[in-house]
Amino acid sequence: MSLDDLAPTSPLRVVADDPRPRDGGVALWLGSSGPLRSIRWLDGACATAAKFGSAIAIAAGDAPWLDLAADRAARAQIACVGVPTDLKLDYLGWAQVVAAVARQLGSRTILVDEASRPERFPEVAAIAELLDAAQLTHVVALAPDGPIIHASRIAGADLQTCRIRGSAVVGLRIAGPPIDEYPTPTPSASMKRLDLPSLGLDPVVLGHRALPPRTSQPARKTVEKVVDYLAAHVRPLSKEG
Amino acid sequence: MGAVLVHIDLDGERPHPSSLSALAAGRAIASSWGATLYAALVVHDAAADRAAPDSTAQVMSTQQVPGLDKIQNVLARAGADKVIVAVTDAPIAPLWAAVGVPWQGVLDHLRPRLVLFGADAPSATELGPRTGARIGARLLQRARATGGDQVELRDRDGGYVRASDGGAAVALIGSGRAELVGDEDIDLVVLVYPGGADNRIEIAGSSPSELAHTLAPIVALGDDAANDAETVSAAKRLAKQLGAHVVGGPSAVRAGAVVPAAVVDRHTPLAPELCIAVGSIALDLAGTTNLVRIGPSSGKGVEGALAGSPSANLTELSRGLEGDSR
Repeated sequence: MSLDDLAPTSPLRVVADDPRPRDGGVALWLGSSGPLRSIRWLDGACATAAKFGSAIAIAAGDAPWLDLAADRAARAQIACVGVPTDLKLDYLGWAQVVAAVARQLGSRTILVDEASRPERFPEVAAIAELLDAAQLTHVVALAPDGPIIHASRIAGADLQTCRIRGSAVVGLRIAGPPIDEYPTPTPSASMKRLDLPSLGLDPVVLGHRALPPRTSQPARKTVEKVVDYLAAHVRPLSKEG
Repeated sequence: MGAVLVHIDLDGERPHPSSLSALAAGRAIASSWGATLYAALVVHDAAADRAAPDSTAQVMSTQQVPGLDKIQNVLARAGADKVIVAVTDAPIAPLWAAVGVPWQGVLDHLRPRLVLFGADAPSATELGPRTGARIGARLLQRARATGGDQVELRDRDGGYVRASDGGAAVALIGSGRAELVGDEDIDLVVLVYPGGADNRIEIAGSSPSELAHTLAPIVALGDDAANDAETVSAAKRLAKQLGAHVVGGPSAVRAGAVVPAAVVDRHTPLAPELCIAVGSIALDLAGTTNLVRIGPSSGKGVEGALAGSPSANLTELSRGLEGDSR
């Protein structure tokens, strides 16, 4: 199956009757695969993006995930674009995809759901680097205020209040309401699909950022294995104090 | 062989313990790979713009930046071959927007092959991934140095960095103990990077955060665990080793297992980097990055699960971690 087969719809184009502004729009990167344990954080990110009025969610990956992303975005009343691909990339690879979509959308503010999956967190910095944007991670509250965005972020034991002006990539850790079950999403007709070549990305070149295939680790069930796992979290102490 | 660079965060006027752990890992790697080990820190000097008004980087004498002698000695004894101090006129904060300019200057100055951060150092999560993106590097999180003659870095997801690898890498080093191995006579270079902070991000204020927002590890006690004195004692011991908060529901307060400020409602969305869930938990832990369950129900989607007596398992974990850190 070629990438074109996976992207049957035409790339997103700027059209005259498109009510969304081309400059200064907000994009929300939902990631390349579904949430690890709960869609609560995905819903929270969508609701936060909806505060901006003209936000567009971006997702990449396989069809079931794109359908879920489009469904949750639609429930928050924001549009969604999908980049169908079976590539499994590292943080720099996905950042290239997001940056390309953001350029095509004209988005200067990129929100990233950094809580749903741990591997998404470093993508905040990578996207910011590619777009030459400011970055702000660990944001737990966000409020647009004209050209300024007010953000509260976690910095150690403190809650920092920040003001963001201009181009920025913001990592969100904002939960939606509790949700136990949700309906299986149906394929989205409204989601715009962008294939990699239409974004100026060569899948073969991008493939150099592919992660090596790894099997998922089963839960460690002995004290020795859990100790080995937790050892990387032990609070470091120096001999000098 | 390219340089191995370790970012040093300061805790007051001393290097942060997590940064010193990263420096210890860097020492082992640099010795094994035949590389030079640089320790670099960013410090504030309001006069930096006057010291170098027309340049992007200028070498200064150490006398111009007070307080560096003690830091230099600590870093030297912790194994650094050379110390780089980047001086900025912007106030220091653990944000890329605050220290990104001088840190980029250090990266451009050294062009390191491997950059290490202490995973628990304040700047690590903001600077580490951006550093990786800037130099096109692979990124390892919570990595540890392993091996004998040929030291390598490994993380828990199967990622590794070896001497024979091509390309650059950035690693956030989890844990480890700083050893005092070096002498006190090492080179120190002070570079000045005027230009201030990225004014697109402005820090307007700061206040203590709520426990519900914490990213630090937590040990969550179920009601059954909170009512068992041995389990509570063992959980607190483990929490101390991990630098974790002990949290629970209202009944855990009534049992004296947690302080009132550590009560978490069952619908409060918790998203710590690590959660040790002890007993039958009625908390929303779906945002947890790494989840280990201890108690009767192991559950799915967890990194670790120990069935059986919670107090016995917690005690064994503490003993194991004490041995591991020696």
